[in-house]
Amino acid sequence: MENSKNLKEAYNEVILLGFIKLSNVCFGYKDNQDIIKNISLELFKEDFTAFTGPNGGGKTTLGKLMAGIFKPSRGDILIDGTNSKDLKLGAVGKKIGYLFQNPERQIFAPTVEEDITFSLIFKGVEKQQVTMKAQEMMEIFQLSHLRNQFPFTLSQGEKQRLALAGILINEPSFLILDEPTTGLDIERKGQLSSILKELSKRGVGMAVISHDDEFIQNLSTRIIDIVGGNVIADKRK
Amino acid sequence: MQIRENKIDPRTKLTAVIIISSLAVFIRDITLLLGILLITFTITYALGNNPLMLVKKLKKLIWVFIAIIVIQSVFSSGTPIIRVANVTIFTVEGITKGLQLGLRMCIIVISASIVSTSSPREIVQGLIQWKIPYEIAFMVSIAIRFLPLFIEEIKDTVTAIQLRGIELDRIPIRKRIKIYSYVLMPVVASTLMKSKQLSVAMESKGFGIYPTRASFKKLKMVKADYLIIAVFLLGAFAIIKVYLY
Repeated sequence: MENSKNLKEAYNEVILLGFIKLSNVCFGYKDNQDIIKNISLELFKEDFTAFTGPNGGGKTTLGKLMAGIFKPSRGDILIDGTNSKDLKLGAVGKKIGYLFQNPERQIFAPTVEEDITFSLIFKGVEKQQVTMKAQEMMEIFQLSHLRNQFPFTLSQGEKQRLALAGILINEPSFLILDEPTTGLDIERKGQLSSILKELSKRGVGMAVISHDDEFIQNLSTRIIDIVGGNVIADKRK
Repeated sequence: MQIRENKIDPRTKLTAVIIISSLAVFIRDITLLLGILLITFTITYALGNNPLMLVKKLKKLIWVFIAIIVIQSVFSSGTPIIRVANVTIFTVEGITKGLQLGLRMCIIVISASIVSTSSPREIVQGLIQWKIPYEIAFMVSIAIRFLPLFIEEIKDTVTAIQLRGIELDRIPIRKRIKIYSYVLMPVVASTLMKSKQLSVAMESKGFGIYPTRASFKKLKMVKADYLIIAVFLLGAFAIIKVYLY
């Protein structure tokens, strides 16, 4: 048993297994107008991958494809070994945490605390454990003083932190973050960097779509440049 | 053959929609309703709308139509078709009423898409030139402009809920209804916020500052518009005559 475990670990060290694998993926919102053009990629949990490129290049669309929100019109996307076409969004959500470009889109409870605990309550997690986890998340993201506040009256930065807390309470294996630093001040950007670094150390895979060069350079181990729906550069640091 | 939709005045399209919708409400004969649906479909295609997209949209409503037919059948008295333990499940009259309602809804939805071939600005201008107060015309244009955004927001919220690891089809119906109640909150909140922002933007641009407004763009009805309206009126008259006699 011990031997087989060591063998598996050794195998994973030599050949890293991609958590998200894209094979010849094409996607367009309209017929015959591909936004994503025949992209093949493999994203690893061990990496901190950053997607950069100009506006309208297809980064957000690619992020949504990788999160199973969109299904490719041609090609395949494997999420932890399963084709995204065979996965329901709820099943994807158990593996991947996705942060929308606009955090308002993923806030839906009447209070900050309820929004963070929403998924745990519906999954039937014990109340004591839910409270404990919510407390921890609110402390990490400095939302404790806002716990009973209506989320839509929060500032952009607070909404961003709330959306992240709501995702991270689920303990996903992989995170896809679309412009996570939007609306964050320098101090909070630094705190977010520390949190993401810590999560990355704990083995949570990261894919970040961002224009924030400093943030990307500070955290990423791999930078993929997307222009016009094509990967034009894929560099490792 | 497709008519270049930009050449037709939005008022002509609005008139066509009013006539078609009124016919759909007034007429109860299924054959005539089917005929009106076919004509509406052809006109919509001729004006440049993709009929396949409309069929796709209507496909989503198929369960609503089936539910209407079943409800009408259960609650309408008449010649029974299926009876279970002395309870009439389907009646001929019920199915007829259900079909009428379904066809009516199809006609109204498809005919409404005729207006969407004009830009919201043109529709507003058309309403203004019909002497409808600018504020009301502007409200109509806002509704046309924001409706797709609300639909998108609802879809995004349902996606976001599922992405929190909640498999909607695997949870009990009671919990599922509670989850769907969460969808309304962000939509209502964002609507209120958008309306606030919009009113500030409108005020800052001097909306309603003068009692009368001048328009750079003026719509002018041409012979073709009058001809189309005449054809629609005559057609409607003919259909009503066939229906009544």
